[in-house]
Amino acid sequence: MDGSIVENPVSALVDDRMDEGMFRVDRSVYTDEDIFEQEIAKIFEKSWIFLCHENQVEKHGDYFWTEIGRQPVFVHRQDDGSLKCFINACSHRAAILTPFRQGNAKTLTCRFHGWSYKCDGACIGIKNEEPDTDKSTFDLREIARLDSYGGFVFGSLSADVPSLDDWLGEAKSWIDLMVVQSTEGLEVVPGSPIYAIDGNWKFQAENSVDGYHVSTVHRVFANTIAAREGKGEYTGIKKTEAGRMAGGVPTGSYDLGNGHMAVWAQHTTPEVRPIWEQKERLERDLTPAQVDWILNKGRNLYIFPNVMLMDNPSTQIRVMKPISASRMDVSVYCIAPKGESDTARAGRLRKFEDFYLTAGMATSDDLAALEDTQEGSLATGAKWNEFTRGMDSIIYGPDKEAAALGFNPPVCTENWDHEIHYHGFYRQWLKMLEEN
Amino acid sequence: MSDLQKEVTNLIYRESTLLDRREWDDWIDLYTEDAIYWVPSWANEEETTDDPELQLNLIYLRNRGGLEDRVFRIESRDSYASVPLDRTVHVVGNVLVENENGDEVEATANCIIHTYGKKGGLTRGSLYDFSMRRVDGELRITRKKITFIDDRLEGPIDVYHL
Repeated sequence: MDGSIVENPVSALVDDRMDEGMFRVDRSVYTDEDIFEQEIAKIFEKSWIFLCHENQVEKHGDYFWTEIGRQPVFVHRQDDGSLKCFINACSHRAAILTPFRQGNAKTLTCRFHGWSYKCDGACIGIKNEEPDTDKSTFDLREIARLDSYGGFVFGSLSADVPSLDDWLGEAKSWIDLMVVQSTEGLEVVPGSPIYAIDGNWKFQAENSVDGYHVSTVHRVFANTIAAREGKGEYTGIKKTEAGRMAGGVPTGSYDLGNGHMAVWAQHTTPEVRPIWEQKERLERDLTPAQVDWILNKGRNLYIFPNVMLMDNPSTQIRVMKPISASRMDVSVYCIAPKGESDTARAGRLRKFEDFYLTAGMATSDDLAALEDTQEGSLATGAKWNEFTRGMDSIIYGPDKEAAALGFNPPVCTENWDHEIHYHGFYRQWLKMLEEN
Repeated sequence: MSDLQKEVTNLIYRESTLLDRREWDDWIDLYTEDAIYWVPSWANEEETTDDPELQLNLIYLRNRGGLEDRVFRIESRDSYASVPLDRTVHVVGNVLVENENGDEVEATANCIIHTYGKKGGLTRGSLYDFSMRRVDGELRITRKKITFIDDRLEGPIDVYHL
């Protein structure tokens, strides 16, 4: 890094004065390429990054190519059923080893010069090999850490990270709420759109747990769905719920620690949700609080720094790949309980398509709003984004809903219009930039 | 050119013209009440999803009401992604009548769509698969499948971008 960073320490970018009722962030954090380079080095290459769901690499030889920060890696299912994750570059001259984003290959052969690697990363073939070559010096480089929780696979380029269990911490009970929706496990439904956003990755992190925008940005979605329902065309599980968007339902927001955040809002018509058909089974197998949280609360969970799990109109994994200060790719997957009925699956997918895609009628509006905030952030004449809504309503520790489920957020408020949960996110962000 | 080829071509041209000129109600009228509008997503680098009910699509509207939802949203002027509205130019070609059976016709076409909006100019491509039916003497669209060749979507995508 050059000297400009030293002259403008990152600590000055987060104005954290809770005793004076102030928390604000310098807008240059969304636009400055030097800060972005620090984020790649000190956050994305130094913490647990979501890679894929185990269902995407179910069989021996299945691979999944993704990125940690900007570094290509692939997860590979081994002979013994375990997973390994390697840097996705030939040891010889760096060509990507996987021809597709997702596929199956028990041996990977580089398409450039024909070097080949076993599933466990061992270099087993060098074309026109010269005498006395020690192929083991060309084995693929495994990433430092790989672990999964509830089927969600995370990896780290740095060995110096806490256990995944400790890192996920209070977010685990939210992940559990998705995992327990099937006794057979979850699966990723075929079809995985990617969209590019001209915006900073932190805006996507914020937006995914921003309850406050819903009644403005998604007012038109609610009105569109209301007009549709007026025509009686979509009933039962086919119906996309819009009630909670108008506001006036119970909601909550949580700082879950380690930069993880979450919000929820009460469903007005839980019986149209695809999970409703499993109500009796859930009531038999789970605690009453879990059943309530699954059936009645639409939930968005953000896991620092690159993944969001949504269980709202539909169920989604949303993965961010930062490209520059003002650009990212986002991949979205519909994740669903294995074994659900075709009716529930179709309902889940139609709700997903209505809302969650940039070709849908809500995420498209989020995208446009996000890109506008990126452009507005160039206005250094007014440099602060304030996160102060709800300062007077802070609860330290769990509210009654959190206590019922049994998780222990450091901070929460009983209103998803509030902005207190972002404080934990920016404190984690600052901590990693300062300490790493 | 056969009369049917002309009629089919005119209907496809008409549709793209109405979209580009934002004559939404007349556009919807080209579709029958039970029309299906389907834009599959890409399942991998080489194949799209092929089961619209049980796989994820970009758009899957199972009757004309779905198109009316889209127009309602555009005309509301309350959709962030639709204000200001992108300008579009569709150029349709390669129109082929693939099958004719009584009042039912199947046709394919290609389309290059140039759009202009906040991101500047973007050019995209779609493959069209149409089913049409003769209703009161006029061909109407009963099904349109759009294979949108991009799988990394740039900016919001609505019916007029495809």
